[in-house]
Amino acid sequence: MRTTVIVTALGPDSHGLLAQVAVTVAEHNANIDDVSQTVANGMFTMIMFVSFDQTETTMADLKDALEKTGERVGLQIHVQHENIFKFMHRI
Amino acid sequence: MVFITEQEILETVNMIRSENLDVRAVTMGISLYDCSERDVRRTAERIHAKIVRRAGRLVSVAHEIEEKYGIPIVNRRVSLTPIAHVVGSDDPAAYVEVAHALDAAAEEIGIDFVGGFSCMVQKGMTRGDTALIEAIPEAISSTRRVCSSVNVASTRAGINMDAVVRMADVLLAVSKMTVADDCIGAAKIVTFCNVPEDNPFMAGALHGSGEPEVSINVAISGPGVVRNVVEHHPEASLIELADLIKRTTFKITRVGELVAREASQMLDAQMGIIDLSLAPTPAVGDSIAEILESMGLEQVGAPGTTAALAMLNDAVKKGGTMATSSTGGLSGAFIPVSEDAAMAKAAADGVLSIEKLEAMTAVCSLGLDMIVVPGDIPRNALAGMIADVMAIGMINSKTTGARLIPAHGKKVGEWVTLGGLFGEAPVMSVSRAGNDAFVERGGRIPAPLQSLTN
Repeated sequence: MRTTVIVTALGPDSHGLLAQVAVTVAEHNANIDDVSQTVANGMFTMIMFVSFDQTETTMADLKDALEKTGERVGLQIHVQHENIFKFMHRI
Repeated sequence: MVFITEQEILETVNMIRSENLDVRAVTMGISLYDCSERDVRRTAERIHAKIVRRAGRLVSVAHEIEEKYGIPIVNRRVSLTPIAHVVGSDDPAAYVEVAHALDAAAEEIGIDFVGGFSCMVQKGMTRGDTALIEAIPEAISSTRRVCSSVNVASTRAGINMDAVVRMADVLLAVSKMTVADDCIGAAKIVTFCNVPEDNPFMAGALHGSGEPEVSINVAISGPGVVRNVVEHHPEASLIELADLIKRTTFKITRVGELVAREASQMLDAQMGIIDLSLAPTPAVGDSIAEILESMGLEQVGAPGTTAALAMLNDAVKKGGTMATSSTGGLSGAFIPVSEDAAMAKAAADGVLSIEKLEAMTAVCSLGLDMIVVPGDIPRNALAGMIADVMAIGMINSKTTGARLIPAHGKKVGEWVTLGGLFGEAPVMSVSRAGNDAFVERGGRIPAPLQSLTN
Protein backbone atom coordinates (compact mmCIF):
# COMPACT_ATOMS: atom_id res chain seq x y z
CA MET A 1 0.00 0.00 0.00
CA ARG A 2 1.28 3.45 -0.90
CA THR A 3 1.44 6.11 1.77
CA THR A 4 1.82 9.83 1.23
CA VAL A 5 3.36 12.03 3.89
CA ILE A 6 4.02 15.74 3.91
CA VAL A 7 7.47 16.83 4.97
CA THR A 8 7.89 20.42 6.14
CA ALA A 9 11.25 21.95 6.94
CA LEU A 10 11.92 25.34 8.49
CA GLY A 11 15.14 26.98 9.55
CA PRO A 12 17.98 29.37 8.68
CA ASP A 13 19.08 29.10 5.05
CA SER A 14 22.37 27.53 4.00
CA HIS A 15 23.74 25.73 0.93
CA GLY A 16 22.37 22.33 -0.05
CA LEU A 17 19.48 22.00 2.39
CA LEU A 18 16.98 20.70 -0.15
CA ALA A 19 19.60 18.28 -1.47
CA GLN A 20 20.25 16.86 1.99
CA VAL A 21 16.54 16.23 2.56
CA ALA A 22 16.14 14.74 -0.93
CA VAL A 23 19.05 12.34 -0.37
CA THR A 24 17.49 11.05 2.86
CA VAL A 25 14.18 10.48 1.05
CA ALA A 26 15.95 8.63 -1.77
CA GLU A 27 17.89 6.44 0.68
CA HIS A 28 14.54 5.14 1.93
CA ASN A 29 13.27 4.30 -1.57
CA ALA A 30 10.62 6.99 -1.21
CA ASN A 31 9.52 9.27 -4.02
CA ILE A 32 9.23 13.05 -4.09
CA ASP A 33 5.83 13.73 -5.71
CA ASP A 34 5.96 17.50 -5.33
CA VAL A 35 8.22 20.01 -3.67
CA SER A 36 8.29 23.75 -3.13
CA GLN A 37 10.80 25.84 -1.28
CA THR A 38 11.36 29.51 -0.63
CA VAL A 39 13.93 31.60 1.19
CA ALA A 40 12.69 34.82 2.74
CA ASN A 41 14.76 37.02 5.06
CA GLY A 42 17.30 34.23 5.39
CA MET A 43 14.68 31.66 6.48
CA PHE A 44 14.36 28.47 4.50
CA THR A 45 10.85 26.98 4.15
CA MET A 46 10.22 23.74 2.30
CA ILE A 47 7.14 21.61 1.72
CA MET A 48 7.61 18.19 0.16
CA PHE A 49 5.00 15.55 -0.74
CA VAL A 50 6.68 12.16 -0.34
CA SER A 51 5.15 8.80 -1.15
CA PHE A 52 6.48 5.33 -0.49
CA ASP A 53 5.44 1.73 -0.57
CA GLN A 54 5.11 0.23 2.88
CA THR A 55 7.03 -2.83 1.74
CA GLU A 56 10.02 -0.55 1.01
CA THR A 57 10.09 1.57 4.16
CA THR A 58 7.95 2.58 7.12
CA MET A 59 6.75 6.00 8.11
CA ALA A 60 8.55 5.65 11.44
CA ASP A 61 11.93 4.92 9.75
CA LEU A 62 11.56 7.75 7.24
CA LYS A 63 10.49 10.17 9.94
CA ASP A 64 13.36 9.20 12.19
CA ALA A 65 15.90 9.62 9.37
CA LEU A 66 14.51 12.98 8.23
CA GLU A 67 14.46 14.32 11.79
CA LYS A 68 18.10 13.29 12.18
CA THR A 69 18.96 15.01 8.88
CA GLY A 70 17.15 18.11 10.18
CA GLU A 71 19.22 18.10 13.36
CA ARG A 72 22.43 17.76 11.35
CA VAL A 73 21.71 20.66 8.95
CA GLY A 74 19.90 22.95 11.41
CA LEU A 75 16.32 22.52 10.18
CA GLN A 76 13.16 21.69 12.07
CA ILE A 77 11.68 18.89 10.01
CA HIS A 78 8.18 17.52 10.51
CA VAL A 79 6.75 14.45 8.83
CA GLN A 80 2.98 14.03 8.93
CA HIS A 81 0.55 11.74 7.17
CA GLU A 82 -1.34 13.69 4.49
CA ASN A 83 -4.74 12.91 6.05
CA ILE A 84 -4.34 15.46 8.84
CA PHE A 85 -4.15 18.22 6.24
CA LYS A 86 -7.01 16.80 4.19
CA PHE A 87 -9.22 16.49 7.25
CA MET A 88 -8.43 19.92 8.60
CA HIS A 89 -8.92 21.86 5.39
CA ARG A 90 -11.40 19.85 3.29
CA ILE A 91 -14.68 18.04 3.91
CA MET B 1 -5.09 13.50 -4.94
CA VAL B 2 -6.69 16.23 -2.84
CA PHE B 3 -5.01 19.56 -3.49
CA ILE B 4 -3.82 21.26 -0.33
CA THR B 5 -2.22 24.68 -0.56
CA GLU B 6 1.15 25.58 0.93
CA GLN B 7 -0.55 28.13 3.12
CA GLU B 8 -2.89 25.48 4.56
CA ILE B 9 0.00 23.11 5.24
CA LEU B 10 2.02 25.76 7.02
CA GLU B 11 -1.06 26.86 8.99
CA THR B 12 -1.51 23.33 10.33
CA VAL B 13 2.18 22.96 11.19
CA ASN B 14 2.19 26.33 12.92
CA MET B 15 -0.94 25.51 14.96
CA ILE B 16 0.80 22.44 16.36
CA ARG B 17 4.29 23.88 16.77
CA SER B 18 3.60 27.38 18.01
CA GLU B 19 0.02 27.55 19.25
CA ASN B 20 -0.27 24.44 21.44
CA LEU B 21 -2.83 22.68 19.25
CA ASP B 22 -3.32 19.24 20.68
CA VAL B 23 -5.88 16.55 21.28
CA ARG B 24 -6.54 16.95 24.97
CA ALA B 25 -7.75 13.43 25.67
CA VAL B 26 -8.57 10.15 24.05
CA THR B 27 -10.89 8.49 26.52
CA MET B 28 -12.08 4.91 26.26
CA GLY B 29 -15.50 4.32 27.77
CA ILE B 30 -15.96 0.77 29.05
CA SER B 31 -19.20 -0.81 30.20
CA LEU B 32 -18.84 -2.74 33.45
CA TYR B 33 -22.35 -4.18 33.68
CA ASP B 34 -21.02 -7.68 32.98
CA CYS B 35 -18.53 -7.44 35.87
CA SER B 36 -21.09 -7.47 38.64
CA GLU B 37 -20.77 -10.40 41.05
CA ARG B 38 -22.28 -11.17 44.43
CA ASP B 39 -18.80 -11.17 46.01
CA VAL B 40 -17.20 -7.70 45.95
CA ARG B 41 -13.65 -9.02 45.68
CA ARG B 42 -14.64 -11.01 42.62
CA THR B 43 -16.34 -7.92 41.13
CA ALA B 44 -13.17 -5.88 41.68
CA GLU B 45 -11.09 -8.58 39.98
CA ARG B 46 -13.40 -8.71 36.98
CA ILE B 47 -13.40 -4.91 36.63
CA HIS B 48 -9.59 -4.86 36.79
CA ALA B 49 -9.35 -7.62 34.19
CA LYS B 50 -11.81 -5.94 31.83
CA ILE B 51 -10.06 -2.56 31.96
CA VAL B 52 -6.71 -4.18 31.23
CA ARG B 53 -8.17 -6.34 28.46
CA ARG B 54 -10.06 -3.57 26.64
CA ALA B 55 -7.79 -0.58 27.28
CA GLY B 56 -4.43 -2.35 27.41
CA ARG B 57 -3.47 -0.96 23.99
CA LEU B 58 -4.91 2.53 24.53
CA VAL B 59 -1.57 4.17 25.30
CA SER B 60 0.34 2.54 22.43
CA VAL B 61 -2.42 3.26 19.89
CA ALA B 62 -2.56 6.92 20.96
CA HIS B 63 1.22 7.07 20.53
CA GLU B 64 0.99 5.57 17.04
CA ILE B 65 -1.57 8.20 16.04
CA GLU B 66 0.60 10.98 17.49
CA GLU B 67 3.53 9.80 15.39
CA LYS B 68 1.49 9.37 12.23
CA TYR B 69 -0.14 12.80 12.25
CA GLY B 70 2.37 14.76 14.30
CA ILE B 71 -0.36 15.90 16.68
CA PRO B 72 0.23 15.60 20.44
CA ILE B 73 -2.35 13.59 22.39
CA VAL B 74 -1.96 14.89 25.91
CA ASN B 75 -3.97 12.39 27.92
CA ARG B 76 -5.18 8.83 27.57
CA ARG B 77 -7.95 7.92 29.96
CA VAL B 78 -10.67 5.44 30.76
CA SER B 79 -14.24 6.16 31.82
CA LEU B 80 -16.42 3.51 33.38
CA THR B 81 -20.02 2.62 34.13
CA PRO B 82 -20.86 4.42 37.40
CA ILE B 83 -19.46 2.08 40.04
CA ALA B 84 -22.63 2.32 42.13
CA HIS B 85 -24.45 0.55 39.26
CA VAL B 86 -21.99 -2.33 39.33
CA VAL B 87 -21.23 -2.92 42.99
CA GLY B 88 -24.34 -3.98 44.88
CA SER B 89 -23.18 -3.33 48.42
CA ASP B 90 -24.15 -0.97 51.20
CA ASP B 91 -20.70 -1.21 52.81
CA PRO B 92 -18.41 1.77 52.04
CA ALA B 93 -15.36 -0.52 52.43
CA ALA B 94 -16.51 -2.51 49.40
CA TYR B 95 -16.38 0.63 47.25
CA VAL B 96 -12.94 1.54 48.54
CA GLU B 97 -11.74 -1.93 47.54
CA VAL B 98 -13.09 -1.41 44.04
CA ALA B 99 -11.42 2.02 43.86
CA HIS B 100 -8.09 0.33 44.58
CA ALA B 101 -8.74 -2.13 41.76
CA LEU B 102 -9.43 0.78 39.38
CA ASP B 103 -6.22 2.50 40.47
CA ALA B 104 -4.18 -0.67 39.95
CA ALA B 105 -5.67 -1.23 36.49
CA ALA B 106 -4.99 2.39 35.49
CA GLU B 107 -1.38 2.06 36.60
CA GLU B 108 -0.96 -1.23 34.79
CA ILE B 109 -2.11 0.18 31.42
CA GLY B 110 -0.19 3.44 31.91
CA ILE B 111 -3.00 6.02 32.01
CA ASP B 112 -3.13 9.00 34.36
CA PHE B 113 -6.82 8.95 35.33
CA VAL B 114 -9.76 6.59 35.40
CA GLY B 115 -13.23 8.09 35.88
CA GLY B 116 -16.50 6.59 37.00
CA PHE B 117 -16.29 6.24 40.76
CA SER B 118 -19.73 7.72 40.49
CA CYS B 119 -23.43 7.58 41.18
CA MET B 120 -26.60 9.35 40.04
CA VAL B 121 -28.65 10.64 42.95
CA GLN B 122 -30.60 13.57 41.53
CA LYS B 123 -33.89 12.17 42.76
CA GLY B 124 -32.79 10.07 45.69
CA MET B 125 -30.12 7.78 47.01
CA THR B 126 -30.10 4.00 47.09
CA ARG B 127 -28.21 2.26 49.90
CA GLY B 128 -25.42 1.61 47.41
CA ASP B 129 -25.25 5.28 46.39
CA THR B 130 -25.09 6.32 50.03
CA ALA B 131 -22.23 3.89 50.67
CA LEU B 132 -20.33 5.05 47.57
CA ILE B 133 -20.59 8.71 48.58
CA GLU B 134 -19.43 7.81 52.07
CA ALA B 135 -16.48 5.97 50.54
CA ILE B 136 -15.33 8.85 48.30
CA PRO B 137 -12.93 10.54 50.77
CA GLU B 138 -11.11 7.28 51.55
CA ALA B 139 -11.24 6.09 47.93
CA ILE B 140 -9.83 9.32 46.50
CA SER B 141 -7.23 9.97 49.17
CA SER B 142 -5.86 6.43 49.06
CA THR B 143 -5.56 6.23 45.26
CA ARG B 144 -3.68 8.33 42.69
CA ARG B 145 -5.62 7.89 39.46
CA VAL B 146 -9.25 7.47 40.46
CA CYS B 147 -11.72 10.30 39.76
CA SER B 148 -15.18 10.59 41.21
CA SER B 149 -18.36 12.35 40.13
CA VAL B 150 -21.83 12.50 41.61
CA ASN B 151 -24.87 13.77 39.74
CA VAL B 152 -27.03 15.53 42.33
CA ALA B 153 -29.38 17.47 40.06
CA SER B 154 -31.09 17.46 36.69
CA THR B 155 -33.64 19.52 34.80
CA ARG B 156 -35.99 16.54 34.95
CA ALA B 157 -35.63 15.79 38.66
CA GLY B 158 -34.61 19.01 40.39
CA ILE B 159 -31.83 19.35 42.96
CA ASN B 160 -31.32 16.74 45.66
CA MET B 161 -30.26 19.07 48.46
CA ASP B 162 -29.52 16.20 50.84
CA ALA B 163 -26.97 14.93 48.33
CA VAL B 164 -25.57 18.43 47.87
CA VAL B 165 -24.92 18.66 51.61
CA ARG B 166 -23.25 15.25 51.59
CA MET B 167 -20.98 16.35 48.77
CA ALA B 168 -19.97 19.41 50.77
CA ASP B 169 -19.04 17.06 53.62
CA VAL B 170 -17.12 14.86 51.18
CA LEU B 171 -15.09 17.81 49.85
CA LEU B 172 -14.19 19.02 53.34
CA ALA B 173 -13.17 15.51 54.39
CA VAL B 174 -11.09 14.74 51.32
CA SER B 175 -9.35 18.09 51.44
CA LYS B 176 -8.31 17.40 55.03
CA MET B 177 -7.12 13.90 54.13
CA THR B 178 -4.98 15.17 51.21
CA VAL B 179 -3.66 18.30 52.92
CA ALA B 180 -0.07 17.11 52.43
CA ASP B 181 -0.65 17.41 48.65
CA ASP B 182 -2.30 20.83 48.81
CA CYS B 183 -5.77 19.25 49.09
CA ILE B 184 -5.53 17.76 45.61
CA GLY B 185 -8.18 15.13 46.40
CA ALA B 186 -10.97 17.66 45.93
CA ALA B 187 -9.74 18.40 42.39
CA LYS B 188 -10.65 14.83 41.47
CA ILE B 189 -14.30 15.11 42.52
CA VAL B 190 -17.05 16.74 40.44
CA THR B 191 -20.61 17.42 41.57
CA PHE B 192 -22.88 17.56 38.51
CA CYS B 193 -26.22 18.71 37.24
CA ASN B 194 -27.32 16.98 34.00
CA VAL B 195 -24.15 14.88 33.83
CA PRO B 196 -23.30 13.82 30.26
CA GLU B 197 -22.91 10.08 29.69
CA ASP B 198 -20.09 10.41 27.18
CA ASN B 199 -17.80 13.10 28.56
CA PRO B 200 -14.11 12.45 27.81
CA PHE B 201 -12.79 15.08 30.25
CA MET B 202 -11.66 14.29 33.77
CA ALA B 203 -12.51 14.41 36.56
CA GLY B 204 -16.13 14.00 35.49
CA ALA B 205 -15.87 11.28 32.85
CA LEU B 206 -18.19 8.31 33.16
CA HIS B 207 -19.63 5.74 30.73
CA GLY B 208 -23.40 6.08 30.94
CA SER B 209 -26.07 3.41 30.80
CA GLY B 210 -27.03 4.32 27.22
CA GLU B 211 -23.49 3.85 25.92
CA PRO B 212 -22.12 0.91 23.90
CA GLU B 213 -19.87 -1.84 25.26
CA VAL B 214 -16.70 0.12 24.47
CA SER B 215 -16.42 3.58 22.94
CA ILE B 216 -13.78 6.14 22.08
CA ASN B 217 -14.51 9.75 22.98
CA VAL B 218 -12.12 12.50 22.01
CA ALA B 219 -11.63 15.87 23.65
CA ILE B 220 -10.22 18.55 21.40
CA SER B 221 -8.44 21.62 22.61
CA GLY B 222 -6.63 24.60 21.17
CA PRO B 223 -7.22 27.85 23.09
CA GLY B 224 -3.83 29.02 21.81
CA VAL B 225 -4.94 28.67 18.18
CA VAL B 226 -8.14 30.65 18.79
CA ARG B 227 -6.28 33.29 20.76
CA ASN B 228 -3.80 33.75 17.95
CA VAL B 229 -6.59 34.32 15.42
CA VAL B 230 -8.32 36.82 17.69
CA GLU B 231 -5.08 38.63 18.46
CA HIS B 232 -4.23 39.03 14.77
CA HIS B 233 -7.55 40.68 13.94
CA PRO B 234 -7.88 43.70 16.23
CA GLU B 235 -9.86 45.48 13.51
CA ALA B 236 -12.53 42.78 13.16
CA SER B 237 -16.09 43.59 14.21
CA LEU B 238 -17.75 41.11 16.57
CA ILE B 239 -19.61 39.45 13.69
CA GLU B 240 -16.36 39.06 11.78
CA LEU B 241 -14.60 37.81 14.90
CA ALA B 242 -17.28 35.17 15.49
CA ASP B 243 -16.79 34.01 11.92
CA LEU B 244 -13.02 33.74 12.37
CA ILE B 245 -13.45 31.72 15.57
CA LYS B 246 -15.91 29.41 13.83
CA ARG B 247 -13.49 28.76 10.98
CA THR B 248 -10.70 28.01 13.44
CA THR B 249 -12.70 25.66 15.63
CA PHE B 250 -13.87 23.86 12.52
CA LYS B 251 -10.26 23.01 11.75
CA ILE B 252 -9.46 22.00 15.32
CA THR B 253 -12.51 19.76 15.50
CA ARG B 254 -11.64 18.03 12.23
CA VAL B 255 -8.41 16.87 13.86
CA GLY B 256 -10.48 15.42 16.72
CA GLU B 257 -12.71 13.65 14.21
CA LEU B 258 -9.71 12.13 12.45
CA VAL B 259 -8.19 10.91 15.72
CA ALA B 260 -11.50 9.50 16.96
CA ARG B 261 -12.11 7.57 13.74
CA GLU B 262 -8.62 6.13 13.67
CA ALA B 263 -8.41 5.30 17.39
CA SER B 264 -11.82 3.61 17.50
CA GLN B 265 -10.96 1.48 14.49
CA MET B 266 -7.56 0.48 15.88
CA LEU B 267 -9.00 -0.34 19.29
CA ASP B 268 -12.06 -2.19 18.01
CA ALA B 269 -14.37 0.25 19.79
CA GLN B 270 -17.37 2.23 18.67
CA MET B 271 -16.60 5.84 17.79
CA GLY B 272 -18.32 7.89 20.45
CA ILE B 273 -18.22 11.65 20.46
CA ILE B 274 -16.01 14.64 19.84
CA ASP B 275 -16.19 17.07 22.75
CA LEU B 276 -16.07 20.57 21.28
CA SER B 277 -14.43 22.18 24.26
CA LEU B 278 -11.70 24.73 24.57
CA ALA B 279 -9.80 23.47 27.58
CA PRO B 280 -6.97 25.58 28.96
CA THR B 281 -3.74 24.40 30.53
CA PRO B 282 -1.51 26.37 32.89
CA ALA B 283 0.94 26.95 30.00
CA VAL B 284 1.20 30.55 28.87
CA GLY B 285 -0.74 30.99 25.63
CA ASP B 286 -3.06 28.06 26.29
CA SER B 287 -5.67 30.07 28.12
CA ILE B 288 -9.35 30.95 27.76
CA ALA B 289 -8.80 34.13 29.78
CA GLU B 290 -6.18 35.24 27.25
CA ILE B 291 -8.68 34.77 24.40
CA LEU B 292 -11.16 37.02 26.20
CA GLU B 293 -8.39 39.53 26.85
CA SER B 294 -7.39 39.42 23.18
CA MET B 295 -11.01 40.21 22.34
CA GLY B 296 -10.50 43.53 24.11
CA LEU B 297 -10.95 43.07 27.86
CA GLU B 298 -8.16 44.49 29.97
CA GLN B 299 -8.39 41.45 32.21
CA VAL B 300 -10.83 38.59 32.55
CA GLY B 301 -13.50 39.62 35.06
CA ALA B 302 -13.90 43.09 33.59
CA PRO B 303 -17.45 44.19 32.74
CA GLY B 304 -18.30 42.50 29.44
CA THR B 305 -16.55 39.23 30.33
CA THR B 306 -19.78 37.21 30.33
CA ALA B 307 -20.80 38.64 26.95
CA ALA B 308 -17.40 37.92 25.41
CA LEU B 309 -17.42 34.38 26.79
CA ALA B 310 -20.96 33.79 25.49
CA MET B 311 -19.86 34.78 22.02
CA LEU B 312 -16.72 32.66 22.15
CA ASN B 313 -18.59 29.62 23.43
CA ASP B 314 -21.27 29.90 20.76
CA ALA B 315 -18.79 30.37 17.93
CA VAL B 316 -16.79 27.34 19.10
CA LYS B 317 -19.90 25.18 18.99
CA LYS B 318 -21.05 26.48 15.60
CA GLY B 319 -17.66 25.85 14.02
CA GLY B 320 -17.35 22.46 15.68
CA THR B 321 -20.74 21.12 14.70
CA MET B 322 -19.92 21.69 11.03
CA ALA B 323 -16.81 19.56 11.45
CA THR B 324 -18.31 16.45 13.01
CA SER B 325 -21.67 14.76 13.29
CA SER B 326 -20.66 13.20 16.60
CA THR B 327 -20.79 16.04 19.06
CA GLY B 328 -21.23 15.31 22.74
CA GLY B 329 -19.70 15.45 26.18
CA LEU B 330 -19.45 18.89 27.70
CA SER B 331 -18.83 20.88 24.49
CA GLY B 332 -18.12 24.44 25.58
CA ALA B 333 -15.31 26.70 26.72
CA PHE B 334 -13.98 25.74 30.16
CA ILE B 335 -13.20 28.26 32.87
CA PRO B 336 -11.19 26.29 35.46
CA VAL B 337 -9.39 28.92 37.52
CA SER B 338 -6.31 26.97 38.64
CA GLU B 339 -5.81 25.37 35.21
CA ASP B 340 -5.73 28.74 33.42
CA ALA B 341 -2.79 30.91 34.50
CA ALA B 342 -4.36 34.19 33.34
CA MET B 343 -7.60 33.37 35.13
CA ALA B 344 -5.75 32.56 38.36
CA LYS B 345 -3.88 35.87 38.06
CA ALA B 346 -7.15 37.78 37.59
CA ALA B 347 -8.49 36.10 40.72
CA ALA B 348 -5.33 37.04 42.65
CA ASP B 349 -5.57 40.63 41.38
CA GLY B 350 -9.13 40.86 42.71
CA VAL B 351 -10.55 41.40 39.21
CA LEU B 352 -12.27 38.02 38.95
CA SER B 353 -14.66 37.03 41.75
CA ILE B 354 -16.58 33.85 42.45
CA GLU B 355 -19.79 35.74 41.70
CA LYS B 356 -18.49 36.71 38.25
CA LEU B 357 -17.42 33.12 37.62
CA GLU B 358 -20.94 32.03 38.53
CA ALA B 359 -22.38 34.39 35.91
CA MET B 360 -19.87 33.09 33.35
CA THR B 361 -21.03 29.56 34.15
CA ALA B 362 -24.46 30.43 32.79
CA VAL B 363 -23.07 30.88 29.28
CA CYS B 364 -20.39 28.19 28.99
CA SER B 365 -19.11 24.93 30.36
CA LEU B 366 -18.55 23.71 33.04
CA GLY B 367 -19.33 25.60 36.23
CA LEU B 368 -17.43 26.72 39.29
CA ASP B 369 -14.40 24.73 38.25
CA MET B 370 -11.09 24.35 40.05
CA ILE B 371 -11.84 27.16 42.44
CA VAL B 372 -9.95 27.21 45.72
CA VAL B 373 -11.96 28.38 48.75
CA PRO B 374 -10.82 28.97 52.35
CA GLY B 375 -10.25 25.80 54.36
CA ASP B 376 -12.47 27.03 57.17
CA ILE B 377 -15.48 27.53 54.88
CA PRO B 378 -18.62 26.35 56.70
CA ARG B 379 -20.14 23.15 55.33
CA ASN B 380 -23.40 24.91 54.49
CA ALA B 381 -21.64 27.72 52.63
CA LEU B 382 -19.94 25.10 50.45
CA ALA B 383 -23.28 23.35 49.94
CA GLY B 384 -24.87 26.68 48.98
CA MET B 385 -22.18 27.31 46.36
CA ILE B 386 -22.76 23.85 44.87
CA ALA B 387 -26.54 24.38 44.89
CA ASP B 388 -26.17 27.69 43.05
CA VAL B 389 -24.20 26.03 40.26
CA MET B 390 -26.70 23.18 40.09
CA ALA B 391 -29.57 25.68 39.81
CA ILE B 392 -27.98 27.31 36.74
CA GLY B 393 -27.74 23.91 35.05
CA MET B 394 -31.22 22.83 36.08
CA ILE B 395 -33.00 25.97 34.87
CA ASN B 396 -31.00 26.31 31.65
CA SER B 397 -31.19 22.61 30.75
CA LYS B 398 -27.42 22.37 30.53
CA THR B 399 -24.60 20.55 32.25
CA THR B 400 -23.01 22.35 35.14
CA GLY B 401 -20.46 21.06 37.59
CA ALA B 402 -18.75 22.19 40.74
CA ARG B 403 -15.12 21.35 41.39
CA LEU B 404 -14.37 23.28 44.57
CA ILE B 405 -11.23 22.84 46.60
CA PRO B 406 -11.38 23.82 50.27
CA ALA B 407 -7.75 24.64 51.06
CA HIS B 408 -7.38 23.17 54.50
CA GLY B 409 -5.42 25.54 56.75
CA LYS B 410 -5.23 28.33 54.17
CA LYS B 411 -6.79 31.78 54.06
CA VAL B 412 -7.95 34.10 51.26
CA GLY B 413 -5.06 35.22 49.05
CA GLU B 414 -2.73 32.31 49.86
CA TRP B 415 -1.80 30.16 46.86
CA VAL B 416 -2.43 26.47 46.40
CA THR B 417 -0.20 24.50 44.01
CA LEU B 418 -1.96 21.44 42.66
CA GLY B 419 0.70 20.59 40.10
CA GLY B 420 0.75 19.52 36.47
CA LEU B 421 -2.33 20.30 34.43
CA PHE B 422 -4.23 21.14 37.63
CA GLY B 423 -2.10 24.28 37.93
CA GLU B 424 -2.21 26.69 40.86
CA ALA B 425 -4.63 29.28 42.18
CA PRO B 426 -5.17 31.72 45.02
CA VAL B 427 -7.74 31.03 47.72
CA MET B 428 -10.79 33.09 46.71
CA SER B 429 -13.13 34.96 48.98
CA VAL B 430 -16.61 33.54 49.67
CA SER B 431 -19.48 35.51 51.17
CA ARG B 432 -19.78 34.84 54.90
CA ALA B 433 -23.51 35.56 55.04
CA GLY B 434 -25.25 32.57 56.62
CA ASN B 435 -27.57 30.13 54.82
CA ASP B 436 -28.02 27.43 57.47
CA ALA B 437 -31.80 27.65 57.69
CA PHE B 438 -32.14 27.29 53.90
CA VAL B 439 -29.72 24.41 53.45
CA GLU B 440 -30.96 22.51 56.51
CA ARG B 441 -34.53 22.40 55.28
CA GLY B 442 -33.33 19.34 53.35
CA GLY B 443 -35.21 17.43 50.70
CA ARG B 444 -35.31 18.31 47.06
CA ILE B 445 -35.76 21.47 45.04
CA PRO B 446 -38.51 20.39 42.64
CA ALA B 447 -37.95 20.02 38.92
CA PRO B 448 -38.60 23.32 37.14
CA LEU B 449 -41.26 24.01 34.57
CA GLN B 450 -38.59 23.44 31.90
CA SER B 451 -38.80 19.73 32.71
CA LEU B 452 -42.28 19.49 31.25
CA THR B 453 -41.36 19.43 27.58
CA ASN B 454 -43.71 16.71 26.33
